[in-house]
Amino acid sequence: MLIEAELKEKKISKDYGLFTFKLYGDLENPEAGQFVMLKASDEPVLAKPFSIYSYKNRELTLFIKRVGRLTGKIFSSPIGEMFYIRGPHGNPYVDLIDGEKQYILVGGGSGIAPLNFFSELHPTMVYEKFYGFKGSYIRELFTEKEQRNLIIEEESGKTVIDVLKDIYSEEIGILACGPVPMLKNLPATSYVSLEAMMGCGIGTCKSCAVKTKKGVKLVCKNGPLFRKEEIIWEWI
Amino acid sequence: MGVDLSVDVFGIKFRNPIILASGPVGFGFELMPYLDFSNVGAITLKTVTLKPREGNPPPRLVDSHGGVINSIGLQNPGIEGFVEEIAPRLKELKTIKIGSIAGFSMDEWEILGEEMDKIKEIKIIELNLSCPNVKGKRRWAEDAELTQKVVKIARKLTNKPIIAKLAPDVTDIVEIAKAAVDAGADGLAIGNGIQAMRIDVETGLPVLKLKTGGLGGPAIKPITLAKVFKTREALDVPIIGIGGIMNWQDAIEHAMAGASLLGLGTAVMVDPEAPVRIIEGIKAFLDRKKIESFNKIIGVAHKGGLNVH
Repeated sequence: MLIEAELKEKKISKDYGLFTFKLYGDLENPEAGQFVMLKASDEPVLAKPFSIYSYKNRELTLFIKRVGRLTGKIFSSPIGEMFYIRGPHGNPYVDLIDGEKQYILVGGGSGIAPLNFFSELHPTMVYEKFYGFKGSYIRELFTEKEQRNLIIEEESGKTVIDVLKDIYSEEIGILACGPVPMLKNLPATSYVSLEAMMGCGIGTCKSCAVKTKKGVKLVCKNGPLFRKEEIIWEWI
Repeated sequence: MGVDLSVDVFGIKFRNPIILASGPVGFGFELMPYLDFSNVGAITLKTVTLKPREGNPPPRLVDSHGGVINSIGLQNPGIEGFVEEIAPRLKELKTIKIGSIAGFSMDEWEILGEEMDKIKEIKIIELNLSCPNVKGKRRWAEDAELTQKVVKIARKLTNKPIIAKLAPDVTDIVEIAKAAVDAGADGLAIGNGIQAMRIDVETGLPVLKLKTGGLGGPAIKPITLAKVFKTREALDVPIIGIGGIMNWQDAIEHAMAGASLLGLGTAVMVDPEAPVRIIEGIKAFLDRKKIESFNKIIGVAHKGGLNVH
């Protein structure tokens, strides 16, 4: 069912922003790793997937990078603008990972969204958080406490991969979401959360294909989380 | 006032004219939590090919003004996988099932037709002559002679109704439609995605890995509508109108142009409950116009309209 979502709050720093929507309906027990399909009232026609950054009492927060027509529209919309969402779709991370382990959350850009939700819902499973961005301007979107997790390349010359190398050991799991070059540089046993162009978000249209050692899978229906070593990266 | 939405075509009674077009809904099972299939007239299943196909590498889909361009590439388990894994589950879908097949040679069409004919749950066979997304392959429906040959083969193999799914972006669709009907097609599906592409201006490269795909959505509605209209003008054969039907107004337009059944693709991809919304809209429209049966509006654009004075 499409739920009306009214833009209630926005905080923007250049090409990134936090957007909170008031929903006129319930998202049923959303979990970290799940996403909503969000669409504008007219153009673009297609709904697009967005990972849940936070959800409480019918208030949904998304962490969005401006890349195309729909995100452009969200950035320029006034407070009060109506959108439509459905979901949650996709599998919760907790259903796909080893629940006994603790995890380092490795995020890049808008990929931090599902990791933030994971950290809110399952704080005891989190060992450490590294959220990578290129420029300092991103600090504006976060509280002082949240800023401690930021790895900003422009400031330290380091990426999340560099920082990860210093503390990584095999007993700790890795849960990552971010750009493909970042994911490719992670240890083979890492869990990586993939992004894809989606049509339906529920497994029918076959748009978000990912090739794995076990055949072609769908990011929406089988993922979004996969073992890094399972993915045939040449196909992406 | 009770409005009769049922449609009788191919000797089959459809409870209403809204059907799910082949492609975006796959084999339908994933849609079951969102859509009560007993509300739709029929589902056209995802096209099945002889061999399993993993589909095209991603990106397979990109949005475009007024629509969406896809190049899935007929990802399917092949006819053997379909017969073994999908066919036994088809009764779960509480509506009429239309099977869709696509061969790459005459021999393949023959095997596919034979196998589809054997599946009891499949009441109608659609020949996908027009998939825009197979690399290096010309679409059968670009050529009247090839269309005729394929339909003839299928006609020999089955007594089930046959629908030829045509490409809207051809020079003269009427010529190809006539060839299909002459060869024994019981109906026509008009049409498929229209060949289209986008280029990323930052990289200078096509966005889709296959380079081109098929455009669907509201942008193509006026185009397929004209094809439905022209075909209906020339031929008295049931037509399934497909192309950019997003709301009840679009559905009514297609019916008035001559379509007996109305296929939804992009609309269901965007909102799995769209069929219900559109059916309700059609009902309310007929009610408002005091027209007791949906059948009465099929093709009225050719017959002096609704006689509104």
